[in-house]
Amino acid sequence: MSNKSILIVDDDQDILETMQALLEYEGFKIRSADNVDDGIKMIEEFAPGVVLLDVMFPEKKTLGFEAAVRIKEKYPQLPVFMITAINREYSFNFAKEDISADEFFNKPIDYDRLVKTINKYIK
Amino acid sequence: MNATSKIESSEYSDLNKVIGWFLALRWIACGGVFVSQLVIHLFFHYNLPNNVLFTFTGLLFIANLSFTIYYILIKSKNLSRNELKAFFHIQVCSDYVLLFLLSYLTGFLENPLCYYFVFHIMLTSFIFSSTIVYIYVGSLLVMLISVMAAEFFRMIPHFPLNPTTNANYFDVMFIRGAGLCTTLIIAAYLITSIKRRIEERGRKIEFELDRYKSLDKIKSNFILQVTHEIRGPIAALKGFHEMILKGITGETTQRTRETLRKANRRTENLLTMIDEMIDYAYMKAEEKIRYGITGLYLKNIIDANIDLFLNAANEKDIQVASNCSRDLSLITSRDLMNIIFSNLISNAIKYSPAKTTVRVNAEKDKDKVHIMVKDEGIGIKSDELDRIFEEFYRTRRAREIVKDGTGLGLSIVQKAVEALNGKISVYSEEGKGTTFHIYLPSSNPNGTKNEKNQGGNNEQ
Repeated sequence: MSNKSILIVDDDQDILETMQALLEYEGFKIRSADNVDDGIKMIEEFAPGVVLLDVMFPEKKTLGFEAAVRIKEKYPQLPVFMITAINREYSFNFAKEDISADEFFNKPIDYDRLVKTINKYIK
Repeated sequence: MNATSKIESSEYSDLNKVIGWFLALRWIACGGVFVSQLVIHLFFHYNLPNNVLFTFTGLLFIANLSFTIYYILIKSKNLSRNELKAFFHIQVCSDYVLLFLLSYLTGFLENPLCYYFVFHIMLTSFIFSSTIVYIYVGSLLVMLISVMAAEFFRMIPHFPLNPTTNANYFDVMFIRGAGLCTTLIIAAYLITSIKRRIEERGRKIEFELDRYKSLDKIKSNFILQVTHEIRGPIAALKGFHEMILKGITGETTQRTRETLRKANRRTENLLTMIDEMIDYAYMKAEEKIRYGITGLYLKNIIDANIDLFLNAANEKDIQVASNCSRDLSLITSRDLMNIIFSNLISNAIKYSPAKTTVRVNAEKDKDKVHIMVKDEGIGIKSDELDRIFEEFYRTRRAREIVKDGTGLGLSIVQKAVEALNGKISVYSEEGKGTTFHIYLPSSNPNGTKNEKNQGGNNEQ
């Protein structure tokens, strides 16, 4: 029995709205949070099959990677996908050793590939 | 002071060299003094203490010989700067003493040899701080003035250079002495102040360099920020388009869907252009493009990049065929490889008519990898072929076929290939098609090896 629930954490309300609509359309159950703290709290009660995490949260200047590490520490089995607007690694010079994410996706998201990849993980 | 030493080390980077030069000069001086003494001894009848003088010349010779031998011995040992400076000081002091004695015994102020002190002041000024230079000048002046006074009061004998002018030596000695002393002071002042100016300029350059480095950082952050800021809204825009297209927002007419598809296509073009401009800005701003290297299977990169344009190819019924051995790997930059393939493949599809084939081949060629991207498209006129790698250049046909475009794609590809120490060439026949050949080294030592398998959407 696959867990078709997905938690999306992104600070852009429009992105949250479109991702939610498009993934619900694909048959997933969606919850969303616009900040990391709320997102982590939600994992507890919502128990998602996959977490989609935006890489940059401008107000905090933490690059989402920290969030991924925090989630992975608490829930090592939970797949975390990074959604990033950054499409090149040269502008991506973060502490690469610490990256805990399972998959990376660029914005704008290729939903066909996203859905395929999610299904691979929650199978 | 810190800046001074930096300048010294850059301006006169090799104190070793200066010392070598100094030794060579002294050999010439040695020869010169010896020859002039010989000439004076043989042809002029100056009343000079020749034995004493030849002894001093011999001393100078021995001193320089020992300095030279020492210099040869230490040359390979990489002495510290301070040790070299001490060696230099010893040489200067011995020169002063010998030159002083030599000139004293050959008429002192009568002898223009006195002015040779200026050369020593110059050399010391180049190497040492102005304080040390003035200490040298000061002690030299004290010595000169005391010997002058001692001669004047007959406390020590005067050795005349020319006995006939001996009579009025004491009348003019103070004028000559004043001339020499002021020459030395002015020389020291001029050279130290010129040196100070050079140092100031050096400091300015260093300051500019620091500023440049911080600007460089601002630039990188700017690129990061811009990418995020622009791609975010476009992502939302595309999401909304897709919601309407999929009927999530309710029934749509055929016309609405077609309109939206057009809007979507232009949005994608916009995104491509923004990415190109960011890539271009990045590559242009970097003196040397920094990139991370990682071991990659070329086939994965090629397939991932073909995947990106599969929709565009299907729309035009274009086949994209790749031929690359599964185990062909190279150590290279994923970013740069993606830039190369995505640009070439998307161009090939864009400028090919329907029902044609785009081929992407890669094979090992000795220690290099040969990549070929070939299309059966519109081709490029021979007079335009030279210009296609130029920034912002688009051929006439290209502009007719695809409206949106920055003309940066191929210029970025060329920069990426060059950054990887590769070569790119193009063959094209109008109406028949275009082929790009790229030769890349199998591994690139220039990159920074810091990547994990990351950004890994291209490799699964």
